[in-house]
Amino acid sequence: MKLLVVEDDETTGTYIARGLREEGHTVDLVTNGRDALIQATSAGYDVLIVDRMVPQIDGMTLVKTLRGAGNRTPVLFLTSLGSVEDRIEGLTAGGDDYLVKPFAFGELSARVAALARRAPTVAQETTLHAGDLTMDLLSRRVIRAGREISLLPREFAILEHLLRRKGRVQTRTMLLEAIWDISFDPMTNVVETHISRLRAKVDRPFDTDLIQTVRGAGYRIDA
Amino acid sequence: MNRHLPAIFRSMPIHLALVLVAVFTIFSLLSLGATYLVTQRSFDQTIRADLRQDIAGFRAAPGPSALSQLVEAEARVTDPARMVLSYIGPDRRHYGNAVIARDDEGYHIVTDISGDPQIEGQYMALTTSLRGGQLTIARSLAEIDALREAFLRVLGLSLIPTILIALGIGLTLARRSAQHVSTIARTLDKLTGGELEARVCPAPDWPQDLATIGTRIDKMASAQESSIAAIRQVSSDIAHDLKTPIQRVAVHLSELSEHGPLDATARDLLDKANAELDGIVATFHALLQIARIETGSPKAGFETVDLDRVCATIVELYEPAATDAGHRLHYTPASGMTISGDRHLLGQTLANLIENALRHTPAGTDVRIELNRIRDRIVLSVTDNGPGVPEAERELVLRRLYRMDRSRTSPGAGLGLNLVASIATLHGATVGLHDAMPGLRVELAFPATRTS
Repeated sequence: MKLLVVEDDETTGTYIARGLREEGHTVDLVTNGRDALIQATSAGYDVLIVDRMVPQIDGMTLVKTLRGAGNRTPVLFLTSLGSVEDRIEGLTAGGDDYLVKPFAFGELSARVAALARRAPTVAQETTLHAGDLTMDLLSRRVIRAGREISLLPREFAILEHLLRRKGRVQTRTMLLEAIWDISFDPMTNVVETHISRLRAKVDRPFDTDLIQTVRGAGYRIDA
Repeated sequence: MNRHLPAIFRSMPIHLALVLVAVFTIFSLLSLGATYLVTQRSFDQTIRADLRQDIAGFRAAPGPSALSQLVEAEARVTDPARMVLSYIGPDRRHYGNAVIARDDEGYHIVTDISGDPQIEGQYMALTTSLRGGQLTIARSLAEIDALREAFLRVLGLSLIPTILIALGIGLTLARRSAQHVSTIARTLDKLTGGELEARVCPAPDWPQDLATIGTRIDKMASAQESSIAAIRQVSSDIAHDLKTPIQRVAVHLSELSEHGPLDATARDLLDKANAELDGIVATFHALLQIARIETGSPKAGFETVDLDRVCATIVELYEPAATDAGHRLHYTPASGMTISGDRHLLGQTLANLIENALRHTPAGTDVRIELNRIRDRIVLSVTDNGPGVPEAERELVLRRLYRMDRSRTSPGAGLGLNLVASIATLHGATVGLHDAMPGLRVELAFPATRTS
């Protein structure tokens, strides 16, 4: 993917760019809003990673300007502020996702991947598959290796979320937002315990594990 | 006493009108009264002089018979209602147009005229011994009575319209100013409620004094709005200035962990540094959020929130973690528990309370989350049956909730509860800590929405 990072802090910017390059992306790094506007309008990017507070043209204005000019490239805002209010402000300005500093690289990478592949979701499928597991969305039944697995509604929702995003990492905070609509940071092991409940039903009785833990980032079901 | 009157009668223009009416009435009464007294006295003197004159006229008569003839002649042409002439001669005969009689009730004038012998009304009489008899002349005081009536009529004619006009004008002004005052009151209510953009905007037809107050309030509100905007700007500047180095530390720690194999000690130190960094970030976020809640107007984003849904979601989220830690979480769904508020902040509040209960009670403790409607309040309570908090300390904890205390010993927990308090205050809720015997019950009492 071709990514543009707009970040005025050199240490952070270089770190993000290096990490994303190591994942195989092409990354351009600019340190102010004006350069960002020129770059974003002249080259086609898959995702823009924009710090909200950059010199010359601030992140919010930059994205509003791009959206006004018809540029629909997905934008991930990086911000120092973390309240719901700021988040809503960022999203209404045309941002697609919002990441509060300081963040782990895994979180950033997972969110960038989610944004890039957010493209037209043909969400009309009625069954989801992974390995020997099948999820029927209409009858709400889950069958693995011929055996039916009984899941609680929330466990079903988590599994469905991971299955719909096969091959992509879902971080704790992404799951909190998607499943519980929660934007604050609760006790660290809240999501882990839900995942381990799910694993106890979906993975433990079987030979192979479907739900992978990605160290320092989150969870993933491989495609 | 004042409280029983309709509000308009307690307003300033009505007060002024009433005071004006009272002052005017008193002055009118005093001046008319004084005039009346002076006039009456001069009338009195005139009548007295006339009587002396009359008596002097009769003194000219040379003897009793001449005097009695003179009295008779005069009496024939004199109306006893105006003047009474009476002469009792030396032979005790009576001459004149009326008799002045005396009984237990005082003097009476009785005429010779048949039909209505008794004459009412007041008289002033002068009597003297003359020519061996007794001459009495009495003049009616009817003119003075008429004078009093005239004065009372003047008083009524001048006072009643004045009072009516003054009251009418006062009432009109009061009604007009009541509208302006209520406009000002509404604006102040909005400002207090967090609508910082509310303004009085006095129209040009407002009375000068109220317009001045309105303009000053608008000025004050603008100053407040811009100073809050400045605080928000400063807090986001501070956030940016602090978050940048924090992010750098996170970057460096992450690079360090990727930097080849680390021995156990180095790994341990790295984990500790990461944990501390998480603590810093958590505290910083909480501080930033409290500052925003307390300076901002997030009320603008309020919506109708079903607390039952919030509780169900948060309890469901924490249930596995609580169970793994050996606690039991209970929640009984309740319906009709809607309040006006911010869904996210309310969820965070309950999460903080649950985390607090889990952190401070031993394994095996039950934590019960309940929603109850008590009159017009909806009470969200988190009750544990753990060791509880002694009463004296509960006071302390409560005070710490509302006034950020720097003597907190356990980081994280303290600010979490501070956040609970500031979110509760934002929602107009009160926080109470109670003895659950055994254990602690934290209660948040929210005002319920009107329609439910």
